[in-house]
Amino acid sequence: MLDTIMKTKLFAWVDRRTGAEAIIKSQLTEYPMPKTCNWMWVFGALAVTVLALQIITGIFLAMYYKPSAELTAGGFSVAFDSVERIMRDVNFGWLIRYMHAVGASMFFLVVYIHMGRGMYYGSYKEPRELIWIVGVIILLIMQGAAFFGYLLPWGQMSFWGATVITNLFGAIPVLGDLIGQLLMGGFSVGDPTLNRFFSLHYLFPLLLAALVGGHIHALHTVHSNNPDGLDLDQSDPKNVVMFHPYGTMKDAFAVSVFLLVYCYIVFFNPQMGGYFIEVDNYVPANNLQTPAHIAPVWYLTPWYTILRSFEIKLVGIAAMGASLAILFVYPFLDRSPVRSARYRPMYQGMVIMFFIDVIVLGYCGHSAPTETLKLIGQIATAYYFLFFIALLFLPKIEKTRPLPEGV
Amino acid sequence: MKLKSILLSLAATSALLTSGMAFASGGGAALKHASIDVTNQEQLLRGLTVFTEVCMGCHSAKYVTFKGLMDYPELGISREMADELRGEKSMMHGLTTDLSPEDAQESYGKVPPDLSLIVPGRRGGSDYIYSLLTSYEHDHDGKVPDGNYNAVFPGHNIAMPDPLGWLDHDEADTAELEKQAHDVAAFLAFIGDPHQNERRALGKYVMMFLVLLSIVLFLLKKEIWKDVH
Repeated sequence: MLDTIMKTKLFAWVDRRTGAEAIIKSQLTEYPMPKTCNWMWVFGALAVTVLALQIITGIFLAMYYKPSAELTAGGFSVAFDSVERIMRDVNFGWLIRYMHAVGASMFFLVVYIHMGRGMYYGSYKEPRELIWIVGVIILLIMQGAAFFGYLLPWGQMSFWGATVITNLFGAIPVLGDLIGQLLMGGFSVGDPTLNRFFSLHYLFPLLLAALVGGHIHALHTVHSNNPDGLDLDQSDPKNVVMFHPYGTMKDAFAVSVFLLVYCYIVFFNPQMGGYFIEVDNYVPANNLQTPAHIAPVWYLTPWYTILRSFEIKLVGIAAMGASLAILFVYPFLDRSPVRSARYRPMYQGMVIMFFIDVIVLGYCGHSAPTETLKLIGQIATAYYFLFFIALLFLPKIEKTRPLPEGV
Repeated sequence: MKLKSILLSLAATSALLTSGMAFASGGGAALKHASIDVTNQEQLLRGLTVFTEVCMGCHSAKYVTFKGLMDYPELGISREMADELRGEKSMMHGLTTDLSPEDAQESYGKVPPDLSLIVPGRRGGSDYIYSLLTSYEHDHDGKVPDGNYNAVFPGHNIAMPDPLGWLDHDEADTAELEKQAHDVAAFLAFIGDPHQNERRALGKYVMMFLVLLSIVLFLLKKEIWKDVH
């Protein structure tokens, strides 16, 4: 089909003025990808799909949503009322809103698996460090967008979650109060905060779209890694297939399977037992009544556990910051010349432990704090950092397995 | 290949963790299972009656309008019935109580919460509502006055006095009271998300379409990749 379009007069007209043919060739029909890439390589395409879904559903929600904390009858607010109006009165508003709310969780799920794939097969290593680093920035922006978005329904968990997180900034020495007040637009979370967060929630996805462009551009410059982590000759047809139609077809199938899972949740279990939409967020925000247990949504809980693992608040904040910052230097901590965990027996064990560790951190952060859970959380926090630090010394002791000659 | 199995086991682990903590933060006593069916029109209408005659004495459901009661196919009340229920209020008005918040505060020490979202807004959902209405007891320690002690309410001291008269009811009335509690729990479960039946019905077709699409795309992928070794 693409061929037919490219033979038309209209395409020739456009091509002469944009160089479209050269772009299509270099990015699609003549862009090589390793044919050994397994199904773990589809999560990038899935992430782009969810981002697009989030932006489209978000635009429609913003047509009906009203960012105002002004109180209405029954202890509700204009914002809460507008969300319920979308759920009840707007045609298919319930569908758009559930798609957006479930999409947020699915976005993180897909991106975390995408990152895990990069970690396991060494896709962050030379020469792909910048792809990884841009990816970490994308993750941070995503977390910000999710945090801002969660305030918008102005429910109990929206309000108290935002209160807890903005108060954290207050603990930063010297600039803390200023940052907190700038974020909140006052001394506590209130109507100005809601307006600010709505504005930022609309801005951040635009940043994401731009950064994803950079992420893909960086990828297309150095080309995809492969499950064996080999340096492949990208011009040898023995090693590669063209992205279109081979990659695009594989991705299209993956997207349809993803949609199957996504739509199942949207249509049959949109709250996901309180994991995707928390029970407390069906209760309107009340600044006089703290919920029994405040926890962020599941995708932020690993970092929340790291924060809570330290008695001194400031140390906790520093540790949480460090746990994200260390991701930036990950490619430089790990100097092993071998990429894939398939040929790195020690790294393989460590990285699998790391995946389990992050799930344990998430579990601890989601549950009501107990002494046992706190201790487990502290051990998990210790392992989180130990993993990265141990990478510095790993190449000296690790005996890697011999790499295969070719594919 | 190996990473796939690892991820699967990770997913299984997290699912196990999830199911274990579903009821971790209830009110104490185990909830009774209500097994609510929000498609049963007769029951929903009985629940509506309990709601308007008992609950609405103090509670509102402001997101449910009289027009909504007519328009939702699950309820579909007649124009006459809607007119009778609304009295002087407009069709677009929500089901609101005539008890003012100030009077409620004075009588009960608390403004009764709006019930539009009470089912999605409580852990245990409709099971919780059903259990709450049928768990008024005498306080064994004698601290909480009769009518305010509830076995499933967090902290057991509830401001809402026994609405159905469960405490010390006649043995012969048990079935009737349980039915009322069940009916109103069903009604509240329905209004918590009034498009839920439409959503599930539509979802079946979406699933069927996506299964077909996945099969077609899988075959297409296989066809295109057949000469790649």
